[in-house]
Amino acid sequence: MSLLRLENVDKSYGNEPVLHDVSFDMERQSVEVIVGPSGSGKSTLLRCVNRLTEINGGEIYLDGDEIHSVDENELRRRVGMVFQGFNLFTHLTARDNITLGLREVLGASKDEADAKADDYLDRVGLADQADSYPAELSGGQKQRVGIARALAMDPELILFDEPTSALDPELIGEVLAVMEDLAEEGMTMLCVTHEMGFARSAASTVTFLDDGRLVERGPPEQLFENPEHDRTRAFLGELNGLNNE
Amino acid sequence: MSETAIGRDGAVGSIRGRKRLVVGVVGGVFWLWLVARWIYHNSLLDSLFTAVGLPDLLQSDQGVRQREPWVPVEPFAAAAESLQTAASGPGGVIFEWLAWPFELIALAAEAEPALASGAFLTVYLTVISMFLGLFIAVPAAITRIYGGPISSRVSLAYTELIRGTPLLAQLFFFYFGLPLAGFIDSFSVMESTGAPRAAAIVAIVAFTINSSAYQAEYIRSALQSVEAGQLTAARAVGLSKSEAIRHVVLPQGLRYAIPGWTNEFIYLLKYSSLAAFITVPELFRRARDIGSDTFQYTDIYLIVALFYLGLVLTTALLMNKLEVRLSIPGIGQSSTRNS
Repeated sequence: MSLLRLENVDKSYGNEPVLHDVSFDMERQSVEVIVGPSGSGKSTLLRCVNRLTEINGGEIYLDGDEIHSVDENELRRRVGMVFQGFNLFTHLTARDNITLGLREVLGASKDEADAKADDYLDRVGLADQADSYPAELSGGQKQRVGIARALAMDPELILFDEPTSALDPELIGEVLAVMEDLAEEGMTMLCVTHEMGFARSAASTVTFLDDGRLVERGPPEQLFENPEHDRTRAFLGELNGLNNE
Repeated sequence: MSETAIGRDGAVGSIRGRKRLVVGVVGGVFWLWLVARWIYHNSLLDSLFTAVGLPDLLQSDQGVRQREPWVPVEPFAAAAESLQTAASGPGGVIFEWLAWPFELIALAAEAEPALASGAFLTVYLTVISMFLGLFIAVPAAITRIYGGPISSRVSLAYTELIRGTPLLAQLFFFYFGLPLAGFIDSFSVMESTGAPRAAAIVAIVAFTINSSAYQAEYIRSALQSVEAGQLTAARAVGLSKSEAIRHVVLPQGLRYAIPGWTNEFIYLLKYSSLAAFITVPELFRRARDIGSDTFQYTDIYLIVALFYLGLVLTTALLMNKLEVRLSIPGIGQSSTRNS
């Protein structure tokens, strides 16, 4: 059974359609990269999966459970999220950013939570920054704490919403490295990103979304080298142009 | 500006150098004297001292008017008198001017016990009302932002009703309008325990309600200045809305609220003088009574203004210290230093 299954998902904000009839399946331990022009509904799609936004039609299944049949807080415990703007809790240290969810949602004791947080900070290479506040970290470090925060909840799936778009170019590498490690370890990841290098090396499938519709979907080599649709080709051409500048 | 000038970031806390020492000594003497007066006439401490068999040093049974000044009045009064006598001779006006400071000091010395007692009541009214008001203000602010359509409107109506009517009218409503004072007086235990009179309790009720509305507005705007992404991230981790508010929005928002909250504290400290009009013998009422006894209205109001100034500057200083202590990199005063 696939871990995540979207069936004919529709979403509109008022009269403005954002997603139209989107369907796809994601296998466990796969990495799905969603690309598409801005305004194509990529971020909305992610937010529908953990119900930060509610869909208007269709169904979404997580490991066989329709997501509206699961308590929303329980769903979000099972689906981690990493944000474009990091959204680290400003008033908490790197360690406490991670322990808040462990203690309040998973009911871990302080010692357990602290140990686990330090463990995950170590995994993203930030063991020495456990007591730093977000304002004292660089963008790349913040995002790595953000990934550790999502990871520590032992999610079945992690959503990445343009995790490197707000970073200075020289900081992107450290975040992608962590994401590549995760992919290798078998974490199931649904990523909105325009990092083509990451998509080529780590993605199992790439999906091209345009104007709220799923235009084309396939393994990275096929989609990048030999796209079926003109729109896909045009978009990838523009993206490559930007990347090679 | 020189380095001894008051800095941009706030209040008396940032005075430097020798001026800091002078301000510190004046403030220290002021507060040492006030606290000594309060202890000396505190009935609870007095009965405690007697109970454990200590000599009867404290004097709580004296009425405020019977209390002896700790600064001698006589020399200053005599000096003023002789200068006034000289004023009837040539160059009289100059002697009259010279007599004035001595008159002022003599009056201050004479009024000192009563003003200390009034200052105590002023601080007491303000601190208790602010504290109790906070327990109304925080839920009111949260309901206003995160509540449903009905509860947020109830909260809005409450703040607008309270902010939209004069404090004096509210005081009169509770004291003369509602039979609240008589109700409180009907508990005869109040008198025997030396608890404040009914009027003071009515004043606390009115001030609590009034300040809660203003505090709620300061807190609301502070909570709204917390980035929306913070709540989203908390929800995405799996925290419920109320957990997210409690663990993420409030700790940040309440820190942002401190400067506004200080403003309300200072405001209430001064406007607690309105309690004088419902017979509460707080600082302003004491001054007014002394004025009507001596007819030295200008002098006593000048003295009492200095009292209020001392109380306000102290509040500003303490709140500034609190803000610095609670600041976190990225939130509060330390962030301005880092950036």
